[in-house]
Amino acid sequence: MMHVTVFQALAIALWIAAIMSRSFFGGATTTLRFTPMMTGLVVGIVFGQVADAMITVAAIQLIYMGVFSPGGQMPSEPAIAAAVAVPVALLGGLKPEAAIAIAVPVGLLGSYLYQFRFFINTIIQQKYTEKYAAAADTKGMFRSIILMPIIVAFLLYVPFMFVTLYYGTPVIADIVKSNSGGIIFHILEVIGGGLAAIGIAVTVYVIGKKSYIAFFMLAYFMATMLKSLGITMVTYAVVGAIIAFIYVLVTTEARSKTATATSDAGGSGVTFDEDDDDY
Amino acid sequence: MTNELQTPEKLAPEKLTKKDVRTAWVRFYFAQEIAHSFDKYLAPALTWALTPVLKKLYKDPKDQAEAYQRHLLFFNTQLSWGGGTITGIMASLEEARAQEVYKQEDITIDDDLIYNTKSGLMGALAGIGDAIDSGTIQYILIAIALPWAQAGNAIGALFPFIAFSLYQLGIGNYFAQLGYKLGRTAAGEIVGDKMKGIIEGLSIMGLFMMGILASSYVKVSSSLKFNLSGKEFVIQDILDKIMPGLLPLAVVAGVYLFFTRKGMNVTKALIGLTIILGVLAGIGIL
Repeated sequence: MMHVTVFQALAIALWIAAIMSRSFFGGATTTLRFTPMMTGLVVGIVFGQVADAMITVAAIQLIYMGVFSPGGQMPSEPAIAAAVAVPVALLGGLKPEAAIAIAVPVGLLGSYLYQFRFFINTIIQQKYTEKYAAAADTKGMFRSIILMPIIVAFLLYVPFMFVTLYYGTPVIADIVKSNSGGIIFHILEVIGGGLAAIGIAVTVYVIGKKSYIAFFMLAYFMATMLKSLGITMVTYAVVGAIIAFIYVLVTTEARSKTATATSDAGGSGVTFDEDDDDY
Repeated sequence: MTNELQTPEKLAPEKLTKKDVRTAWVRFYFAQEIAHSFDKYLAPALTWALTPVLKKLYKDPKDQAEAYQRHLLFFNTQLSWGGGTITGIMASLEEARAQEVYKQEDITIDDDLIYNTKSGLMGALAGIGDAIDSGTIQYILIAIALPWAQAGNAIGALFPFIAFSLYQLGIGNYFAQLGYKLGRTAAGEIVGDKMKGIIEGLSIMGLFMMGILASSYVKVSSSLKFNLSGKEFVIQDILDKIMPGLLPLAVVAGVYLFFTRKGMNVTKALIGLTIILGVLAGIGIL
């Protein structure tokens, strides 16, 4: 049976706790929490398989495209999902698409733990921060706003992630491996390949403006038709930027023209109104 | 006992510098969601970010305590656009208020004005900031880096993380300084007409990149094939003849339509799509 070493499980658990405490480079941890790629890299380094880990996490990243937290709501925890799914994939020799099917339920479970951290933080802020603020005690405020929440997050996430990784991951990997080549694998891969649609649909939905979907379609068919040319993402980004620039340029011009046109129409409109009054 | 009109010299508020504003922003950037809680959200982080500023402005511990408590009310916004701008505006409002307190004038920058400025801006700026930062720029950076990640290269993870973090630190500082300089009027500047064009452009570019990603990474194909009088029909080949990429596009469109009808419920979409794809794969259609 394959296994995860104590060091490997602990290292990944500490990394996740650092992210979920939101203390690792502060605001930058938002990126770490919502986009799993750095977590995949850390797992790869810990397991000594950076390349395989990156390939797997790239597939996981796709389903979480566009998933961020407007107003703090978060349906899933991509970092936690990657921290479990990537080791499973590495141990079980899974295809990236199959790893996705494991990542999704784990990510959903992870979001409950975040709610629990929220709850404890609320108690700390009520009980301590308010008291320290009233006493103008800045050292106390540092303790209750920075130190205590970080410690709480580590106490919550390190044991949880350690147990999951050390005991759970090999079991999942074993089950998955003993079924390799079967129908279960086919199902996992189909699910994984299709779920990438979620992240993309979320982004299209969030960006909004229905008429702009034309630009999505343009890009989709362009990339489908030109697939054999192997055009890079950077090139596509440049093309996208130019198209966006031209569109904004044209609409701004058109807007300023309509603005003058309306003021003309407004002028003549006055005479029409006067005519109307004659009746 | 004479009526003391003049507050002692040592209680005079210090002048805030560019560096003070930058420090406050960097502190907010760091503390942002550490003390995230149900009733205050990011308010403890903003308070902690402003403490050095408030200490410079209010030398009397009583005034200091009042200032801290003033900022401990519910506060939630986006990191760089909202957090940056509001940190700057708060520093500027508190500086004006500290002068009034020191000179014992009538307080025009009262608690209500400070809180209303904050609560009026936090939603609007969060909307813009989320759409531009988290919704567009972050994913354009990831889209660029994905092929590297898929090739097994660590740059695929490092590039978007480092680039996006630096971008947010930089733009947040710009907004904090702008917010401080313009005080209350800063918001109009940011939500103004010029921004509209930039937001439009970014939205288009974001959608364009999503189209490219959808084509490259959504993998749905039919594994269905059957024999008709010795001739084998492969459904996917027929679909490719009609229009390549039809099935992946149909899946994206399906999820999108689900969102437009039922609202953006990612959890439901994940579960629903998993079941649909699983069943179709199980019975051999996909």
